[in-house]
Amino acid sequence: MAQQKKRTKWEQFSRLFLAHGSIDVSFFVIVLLLLCLGLVMVYSASYPISYSKFGTSTVYIKKQLGFAAVGLVGMLFISKINYKRLKVIAAIVGYLGSLVLLIAVFFEPSSDDIHRWIYIGGQQIQPSEFAKLGLILFCAYVLSEWHEKTVSKKELQWGRKINAFFRVPLINESLIPIGVCGGAIALFVALVFLESHLSGTVLMALIGVVMLYLGGVRKKWFICGFILLSLVVVVLYTSTDFFRGYMVERIESWLDKDADPLGARWQTNQALYAIGSGGLFGTGLGGSKQKYLYVSEPQNDMIFSIICEETGVIGAGLIILLFCLLIWRGVVIGINAEDRYGMLLSMGIVFQVGAQVFLNIAVATDTLPNTGISLPFFSAGGTSLVIMMLEMGLLLSISRQSRLRKGTVSKSSAKRIETEET
Amino acid sequence: MAKRGVVVLLVMAFLLIGVCWGRVAYIALIKGDEYKTKAETQQLSVTTVNATRGTIYDRNMNVLAQSAAVWLVHVNPSKVDNENREVICNGLAEILGLDAAVLREKLIANAAYGYLEVKDEIEYEQKTKIQEFINNEDLYGIVNIDPDTIRYYPNGNLCSTIIGFTGKDDDGLAGIEYYYDDELTGTDGRIVTAKDGSQQPMPDQFMTTYDAQQGASPVLTIDSEIQTILESALQTALIENDAQNVYGVVMDIKTGAILGMANLPNYDPNDPYTLTAEMIAEIEAKPEEEQNEAFVEKQNELWRNKLITDFYEPGSVAKVFLVASALEEGVISADETYECEGRITVNDRNVKDYNPVGHGLETLEDLLVNSCNTFSVHIATEHLKKDLFNKYFQAFGFTERTGIDLPGEGDPIEGVMYHAPETFTTSNLVSCSFGQSFTITPLQMITAISCVANDGKLMTPYIVDRFVDEQGNTVVQNEPVVRRQVISPSTSEKMLTYMEQVILRGTGTNAYVPGYRIAGKTGTSEKLGKKEKVYIASFAGVAPADDPSVAVLILIDEPGGVNYSGGVIASPVGGQVFEKILPYLGIEPVYTEEELNNMSSPTPEVVGLQTAEAEQQLQNKGYEVRVIGDGEKVLSQSPEAGRSIMDEGIIILYTQEGVTSAKATVPDFSGMTVGEANYYASQNGLNIKITGSTLMTNAVKAYRQSEAAGTQVEPGTIVTVYFRSDEANDDVVAQGQ
Repeated sequence: MAQQKKRTKWEQFSRLFLAHGSIDVSFFVIVLLLLCLGLVMVYSASYPISYSKFGTSTVYIKKQLGFAAVGLVGMLFISKINYKRLKVIAAIVGYLGSLVLLIAVFFEPSSDDIHRWIYIGGQQIQPSEFAKLGLILFCAYVLSEWHEKTVSKKELQWGRKINAFFRVPLINESLIPIGVCGGAIALFVALVFLESHLSGTVLMALIGVVMLYLGGVRKKWFICGFILLSLVVVVLYTSTDFFRGYMVERIESWLDKDADPLGARWQTNQALYAIGSGGLFGTGLGGSKQKYLYVSEPQNDMIFSIICEETGVIGAGLIILLFCLLIWRGVVIGINAEDRYGMLLSMGIVFQVGAQVFLNIAVATDTLPNTGISLPFFSAGGTSLVIMMLEMGLLLSISRQSRLRKGTVSKSSAKRIETEET
Repeated sequence: MAKRGVVVLLVMAFLLIGVCWGRVAYIALIKGDEYKTKAETQQLSVTTVNATRGTIYDRNMNVLAQSAAVWLVHVNPSKVDNENREVICNGLAEILGLDAAVLREKLIANAAYGYLEVKDEIEYEQKTKIQEFINNEDLYGIVNIDPDTIRYYPNGNLCSTIIGFTGKDDDGLAGIEYYYDDELTGTDGRIVTAKDGSQQPMPDQFMTTYDAQQGASPVLTIDSEIQTILESALQTALIENDAQNVYGVVMDIKTGAILGMANLPNYDPNDPYTLTAEMIAEIEAKPEEEQNEAFVEKQNELWRNKLITDFYEPGSVAKVFLVASALEEGVISADETYECEGRITVNDRNVKDYNPVGHGLETLEDLLVNSCNTFSVHIATEHLKKDLFNKYFQAFGFTERTGIDLPGEGDPIEGVMYHAPETFTTSNLVSCSFGQSFTITPLQMITAISCVANDGKLMTPYIVDRFVDEQGNTVVQNEPVVRRQVISPSTSEKMLTYMEQVILRGTGTNAYVPGYRIAGKTGTSEKLGKKEKVYIASFAGVAPADDPSVAVLILIDEPGGVNYSGGVIASPVGGQVFEKILPYLGIEPVYTEEELNNMSSPTPEVVGLQTAEAEQQLQNKGYEVRVIGDGEKVLSQSPEAGRSIMDEGIIILYTQEGVTSAKATVPDFSGMTVGEANYYASQNGLNIKITGSTLMTNAVKAYRQSEAAGTQVEPGTIVTVYFRSDEANDDVVAQGQ
């Protein structure tokens, strides 16, 4: 007790605002590995297009190195912050900030209907990248905070009434956090959709679904919602021109593999040629020919096809394995998080990464229609990389305060989560 | 709940990502080749480096066919506009010698297209001018020059049916050009560069050059000199006998190599699509709707190497094989004799000899010398019989292709070209014994004759000695191939003695060449299936008879003149060919006493001598001397020193400036004997050179002369007079006699 009195202000600050304990080393190593591999591949994939556009081959890699450095510093900084202390501010600032940015997009002059970027100090920024993190922060806060508070009798009454009406229990928790989160998600999804950013919309919706699902919303809601949404989409797609021309075109070119080889299918075909050229072992690092202005955006959305061409099925498999390890490790951190907020935050981030990896590879392999989703750590692009690194920082910060690190066995911690729920 | 939810999400994420990896593996491994090919197709830019077509040489490395670089000018009409059209039309028209107005029309008419050929096969000089024109007027991409090649045949018609020719795309269409097209063509080289998505070359690491493999150059066994001798002799024979076709082959007996091979009329491979005047006349005589077809037919006829594609009935020449077979089998002995009565009856069928009186008692030698049909029939039916006849017929190679390396060799079909052994009747045997009722190609004939002369070894005839590369290194060497031993060397030797007698005292005397021992056989066969009676006259000979090295076959197809027998019209051609090629092949003549008497020798040099002295000198040598003018010294002589004239020939000496003698008139020598011709030549102040058969001096008559009768020439001029024996009218037989 005497010691406690002697605490300096710094110690007080440190105890309150800084995260202590050691980081999850394996997670950290995986992040660094992915970051380094990503930089190597960005250089390999970008030098021809950089040379062709700017006359020197290092334009993209220089920028990317800069962002990587900023991201790395940001990650280490965030990892040291006690995430729990700032959750209210983070949720509000993250959500509102993203909202402002998403709206600001519509004030940027644009040649066509596509609004995706804003320019701040000459730097191109993609608000949807911010929005993803903002949404995760917001949902994690709301869902965890409200859950931990006692559900009021009034609310339960309403819940029971609804359950009685449907004759099956749909709700076993408060409707308010679900309503707030649902509304926040819907707003972002709508805004990103209006930006004509189909892939961003899908991703945003996926993140929302994951957050709600892990936040405790019953499966039946999702099934109902999914059926309803599907019906709406089908009706809109077939009977109105609600979906923008380019979206329709991409879906049609996905269904008809011979359509418009020099236009809508060009990028996908070129990506397939690249993967096909790679074979089992690839052409070797730097050996891609398809990156010579055949695959469009070889340094960005389609970088995975260049990875396949240069490193083959084996190399691509190893990178996919790394991503899986990252997800696995992230999930472990999440499960062992000290509180529900940390758990939801980790899961949101981890499954955002998982969704992006899946969507990106699925597009590159023509498994899904062509939409522009970046591959975490690999695709060149400042906003995406820096935000991703900050998210990794959050995970590291959570890992510092993990119950695992405090010597509690995972079994008991799992029990605790279960207890919390009942 | 949360943990289960997490697990569900985790499993879903891994599953979906795993599916993606599966897709990667599917695309890269199963569809990999397809996509890789597509990727390479779009990435690679291939520039072809044309391989130069090989040169065709004769055995002395004279060029028979050669490719040369030329250029092709083409314009991109879509890039021609009103501003530059005049410049282009006038410029090109001037350099290439075209009509500017025509070019202008073409450019306008093709304005929608990107390619218009203006002129091909332009030479270096013009190409340079066009290049300058393009540079000066800045017409890059509008007027273009592409490299092209052209095939030259420096000797024109010579050897054309063997060499063949190439088409517009430099591919062989006939002859050697066709048969060895792959070897001649070589392999085109490629420069493979990678190009990026905007069609620009990728950085240097992706450039691969595959050098062009130049076409190999065949060195033929053909000797241009021999070919020239053969063709000129045949050309004369073609005209003189008003024949449909004439064929000739010269073969190296020991190896089977073809030294010369020609059928006339032939064509100029530099311009193979032009027909002979006769052919054009024939086509034009037809109704218009048939003309196109006739044209194609005539072209094929002209291009065909009939020596290997066409079949003929060999006639009496085939008796050589009959006698050789019978001797080889031992069914007759060398001293077999036969009493020829001019007719023979076999199975109630009367066979008459062309000589109705009969040849009397004959030896085997006489059989060939007289070309006796009855004796032949006797041997075939009484001694050799069907089975052995067929055995040798096959052994001499008449039932199979010779295997020469030329395209289109006729395939002898059993039952069509020759009798099937199962249905071979005695009547067939009778006809076959004197070379009727079966057909063979001229090449089969000379191959078989060479076999008889070559100690019985049947060779595979061939025409390409070796292939050489650009540096002249031999890449492939063809070796002579012995197909089989048909008769023994001793039979071969006997046959040669008999055949030599054919030339010395038989139907082949017109092929006699002083100083050389020639063995041969003549033949005349009626062509079947024709409305009129038409014949093929033939002569097959080998020399020297004691060690044969070269065989000559001459065929005159459908001669239109009075004479049509092989002995009269084909043998002299054979003789002329032998006379020239034997010395050329380095075979020294050995003259008999008698032959020396008829020899001409070079005239001595007397210019500058005192007139009297010169006159005395020449007279001592036996020359007749005529002095013109009153000068003291000889200013010039005719014929000049060193020319060959007969020992009793005339020499004119000019002794005074400006004084010349009157022109001499060339008399008509035709039908004269050697003595008569000598007399009239001397009377007219001319010299004669005697060519052709001079055996049996009384029988030979002049039939051709180098200066036409009635021509005014310088006194002393040497007129070559050709003699032959019309009594060699041998053995004309036809089926069914």
